[in-house]
Amino acid sequence: MMRRSKMFCSIYKWKISQAMDSRKPTSGKVQKHISKCDSCREYAELCTSLKPRFIQDKQSTLENFDETLNKKIMSAIPELLEFDSESGRKASWQKYPFRRPVLIPSLAAAFTVLVISISIIFLALPRSKQVPSLGQISTLVSAASPEGILSKVESPLEKEYTELKRTLESTSKFLISSFDLRIGQQAK
Amino acid sequence: MEKILAVKHLSDEELASKVATGSRSSFEELVSRYSSRLFYFLRHRFKTEQDTEDLIQETFLKAFRNIDRFNPERKFSTWLYTIAIRQAISRFRSEKKRSTSLDPSPSPPNPQDIVIQKEESQNIWYLASELGKKQYEALWLHYGEDMPIKDMARILNKTPITVRVLLHRARLNLGKRMDPSIASGKLTGATTAAHKFSFL
Repeated sequence: MMRRSKMFCSIYKWKISQAMDSRKPTSGKVQKHISKCDSCREYAELCTSLKPRFIQDKQSTLENFDETLNKKIMSAIPELLEFDSESGRKASWQKYPFRRPVLIPSLAAAFTVLVISISIIFLALPRSKQVPSLGQISTLVSAASPEGILSKVESPLEKEYTELKRTLESTSKFLISSFDLRIGQQAK
Repeated sequence: MEKILAVKHLSDEELASKVATGSRSSFEELVSRYSSRLFYFLRHRFKTEQDTEDLIQETFLKAFRNIDRFNPERKFSTWLYTIAIRQAISRFRSEKKRSTSLDPSPSPPNPQDIVIQKEESQNIWYLASELGKKQYEALWLHYGEDMPIKDMARILNKTPITVRVLLHRARLNLGKRMDPSIASGKLTGATTAAHKFSFL
């Protein structure tokens, strides 16, 4: 039971914090709980008392600040103040509509549509006579008959085959002449 | 002299616009308005006061160089605090790379320091500084600068809900750390905060 109430308290404390941050009054339910719960009441009181206390102590803290730092900062500035004149430079946010290059969705979409439409037009347009179309290229390729060209090219295997054939023919001629063989005729 | 008096009445954003057109006195006024605030905001991030001062100097130089990028329709404090915290982060990273383990061990505090520390402990910002970097910064921006959650989230580079949670935890922890007299609002020595903070 104790644990449960603690859990509820943490929720109510969060709600009190939320109300503080949004600068709105706490809801009736929270106020009802605050009236019953000491811990949450203390927290609510603390929250309301924090702001004036922080402001008060900030003033006293800042009053004791050593001003020599300001002089140090300003001593580093004059070298950079080359433009220190009444004419001065104009701030870039005044000069340009966009201070940094930003991707604007509408412009990006328009650019994409433009690129796509140009490419479609380019593809769809009939080509001039000087530039061959895809069909013309295919007929030229077929006319070239790659098989014929290939047949003219002697492969190393074929070369070896003809060489061997030649050797065999000369060997047979030699043998015929040496032994006086008359194939298909009667020897004298 | 007239120039200085004239700039005193201007808002931060108006001063920044004037700096963009080359007004030195306007920049001086901005420095005097923000240097102390930035000092106490960043103090706990560094070991020495010198480091903090160096960083503030760098922050103002950067702000000055880029003043033409500042849009006066937005809040100057948010812009400056964002620069400061980014400078602090990049400096911390570069120092982390260079740092060695040869840091001398901290010397024991002398009695005078102990007295000062006791006086300082009455100041609520001193208590806040003990909560840790994130919670302290959230409290400073919210209570010290009266910034809305949205701007705080931008400066701290967090989501608005994370900032709300940070603030909530900071309040809870402050409540635990406060002694009963402070917690009940009977502050006695809070305004007599010591000469200077030595937050950590």
